[in-house]
Amino acid sequence: MHEYSLACEIFEQVISTAEAHGALEVRHVILEMGRLAHANPEQLSFCFKAIAEGSIAENAEFIVEMIQPSLECECGYTGTLDKTQAGKDDELLSELLEYISALECPICGKNARITGGRELIIKSIDIETEVEK
Amino acid sequence: MHVIHMGHDVFKANDKIAEKNRKTLDKHRVFSVNVMGAIGSGKTTLIEEAVRHLKEKYRTAVIAGDVIAEMDASRFRKLGVPTIPVNTGKECHLDAKLVEKALNDIDLDNTDLLIIENVGNLICPVDFKLGEHLRAVVVSVTEGDDIILKHPMIFKTAELAVINKVDIAHAVDVDAEKMRDDILSLNPDVPVILTSKHDWESLETWISFIELGIRRAQEAQRK
Ligand SMILES: [Zn+2]
Repeated sequence: MHEYSLACEIFEQVISTAEAHGALEVRHVILEMGRLAHANPEQLSFCFKAIAEGSIAENAEFIVEMIQPSLECECGYTGTLDKTQAGKDDELLSELLEYISALECPICGKNARITGGRELIIKSIDIETEVEK
Repeated sequence: MHVIHMGHDVFKANDKIAEKNRKTLDKHRVFSVNVMGAIGSGKTTLIEEAVRHLKEKYRTAVIAGDVIAEMDASRFRKLGVPTIPVNTGKECHLDAKLVEKALNDIDLDNTDLLIIENVGNLICPVDFKLGEHLRAVVVSVTEGDDIILKHPMIFKTAELAVINKVDIAHAVDVDAEKMRDDILSLNPDVPVILTSKHDWESLETWISFIELGIRRAQEAQRK
């Protein structure tokens, strides 16, 4: 599992950005995570909290927004997979596989190329720059 | 409170270094293979066979990535090729930064083929490009015939899939052809080869696949 190293990278980026903006505290960290990335939001949040202990991000709320996979096909189709297209098959072993099994072009049925859904982005942070009265 | 938009893509930061690695390799006309696969799938043995048969024709170097890399590295060094062990410590994969560092220790001007043995793991290496030219994944029949559907992304994104130890498939009650079908259902265009270290012909297929890559890279450079 590489959540710990991802959390380290996120922590460093968050802290350096927050400090550059004169933050006294980081209130929220909002991430965007692709459903096809091999990262687990709960584990990532747990690791981040452990790393952030004693820092200005100690009490930050860690919010993860999931990104649906998107596709591109040689026939010209581009689009996003929604929840209704994946997860129909009870026999499948994992959520990841459910999404992957749905990665076919809905127009021509060919195996489409994955164009999105594998990312891990620090979208924004919410900071406090003044001491609360 | 105020919101700061960051948009920092954690994986893209790795991909950028990977692109740089690729450019460095291309500049020196080095063809590189990233060999991924589970612990015990036989990656080291397959790489040894490839090195043994290609090293006379092509100047070959190996990066051995592992939690404790020295063990595999010494096996490659015995074959007389430059070998760089990369200790990943706690990490479960090689990343582009680790490879960038390792490339500094390789005489790239005198290298045609660079084989990178990734850490034994079917999940984590998928998220981290290294700058390689060929992403190969190795599984063995001993891992059970559901191993592929449990780890779809690595097979979906691989450019070569190897099913190893097929000579003992019957003993472990696994159908290697079902494994091949599962891989092709995830990735219909990927070449799949079945290998056993006791079957020279199968090893030859694996080795010739790498050699094809080297030749294509060299031809592309000449144009
Ligand atoms: Zn199509």
